[in-house]
Amino acid sequence: MKPLLRNLHLYAGLFASPLVVLFSISVLLLVHAWIPGAGAERTSRRVENLAIPPGLEQAKGRDQIAAVRGVLGQLGVGGEVGFVRHFPAERRLTVAVLLPGADTNVEIDLAARTALVAARTTGAWDATVFLHKMPGPHNVNIRGNSVFMQVWRILADATVGLILFLTLSGLYLWAALRAERRTGLAFLGAGAASLATLVYALVG
Amino acid sequence: MHSSGEPIAPAAAEIAPSGFPRWNRRLHFHGGLYFLFFTWLFALTGLLLNHSAWEFARFWPDRKVTTSEHALRSPPATASLLEAARDVCRQIGLEGEIEWVTNRPDAQRLEFRVNRPGVQVEIKTDFASGRATVRRTAVNAWGIAHHLHSFTGVRVNDPRRNQRDWIVTTAWALAMDAVAIGLLVVVASGIVMWWCGGGQRRGGAIALGLGTALCAFLVFGLRWWS
Repeated sequence: MKPLLRNLHLYAGLFASPLVVLFSISVLLLVHAWIPGAGAERTSRRVENLAIPPGLEQAKGRDQIAAVRGVLGQLGVGGEVGFVRHFPAERRLTVAVLLPGADTNVEIDLAARTALVAARTTGAWDATVFLHKMPGPHNVNIRGNSVFMQVWRILADATVGLILFLTLSGLYLWAALRAERRTGLAFLGAGAASLATLVYALVG
Repeated sequence: MHSSGEPIAPAAAEIAPSGFPRWNRRLHFHGGLYFLFFTWLFALTGLLLNHSAWEFARFWPDRKVTTSEHALRSPPATASLLEAARDVCRQIGLEGEIEWVTNRPDAQRLEFRVNRPGVQVEIKTDFASGRATVRRTAVNAWGIAHHLHSFTGVRVNDPRRNQRDWIVTTAWALAMDAVAIGLLVVVASGIVMWWCGGGQRRGGAIALGLGTALCAFLVFGLRWWS
């Protein structure tokens, strides 16, 4: 049992290591609200003679995303649709398309059948922050409208599962080491006490 | 229980290495143990944030909102916005992270929020009439768990450039930094243990390589591929 668990701990830990690094680095950036290179300028281009899918103006939620994808395909813009804003009086749509390390704003003029595409690269640091925050609690009804976001949702959940497995198997492997028990218990207790103190101070 | 008196051979894992490998191993164990509960908290609350439709963990529809009015003295005329907000909080008996969400309408009014995990308080003051309206929104334990995950006092791309102004938020932010750095140390020491251990290099390299390739594709490759 123990050798098998040790091997599983090793392989799962090595596979999860880059994911843990990704989440840890993005924590440091989020806590300090500082993302190097994220303020890049956008480059814009105008596209004309778009074929506007029927029903685009009336569609809502996932149907609206599916219709918008028809336009994005013509523009060569791929990624997760972050949000769609419809301005019916102006017959205009604003679409945010997101990727790790890049985002694109698309302004679609439905009457003129034109689009202004403004793209920028926000870099690798921003990519880690984006992945950390996705899929997240916002715009739940449309989140996961791209293949990569569906895959990332599974991976993000799998990372939690791997971490739980690694910590539980690590606990078991540590508990089997008699020489490390006393010191380990002191560290475990100190960690629990630190967390409890902080949460008590925060929540009150 | 062994009663024969024969010496028991220690298991391979209990043959303690010496020198750097020994300290590296202890760093891996003890770092992991110290941050264990923090890691569980952030991992599980991260799962909740990614599945906010889970019915059992809902908190916003069950929030409790109360509104009250308080008599108020005007803060000193020389007080900065933050000092004035702190003075108002002291008078009302509030503690938490001050957040600016609107522009100040005029010198007689001050509007801000005071946040702490689980509680958000909106304060609207009118110094001319000496009154403050306090709207308190409290959420259940699931809401507190959500907020603990993301409670930093600052936000990326915040046009109002809110800064941390409550010492407990600063302590919590430092704890988040410590957990992140601690996990990086646990990861690095784990990789060193694997490499110095000698065995399972090929299998380990495949596992590490797969994870690295996946992350590299997501962070660097996806935007080019799309």
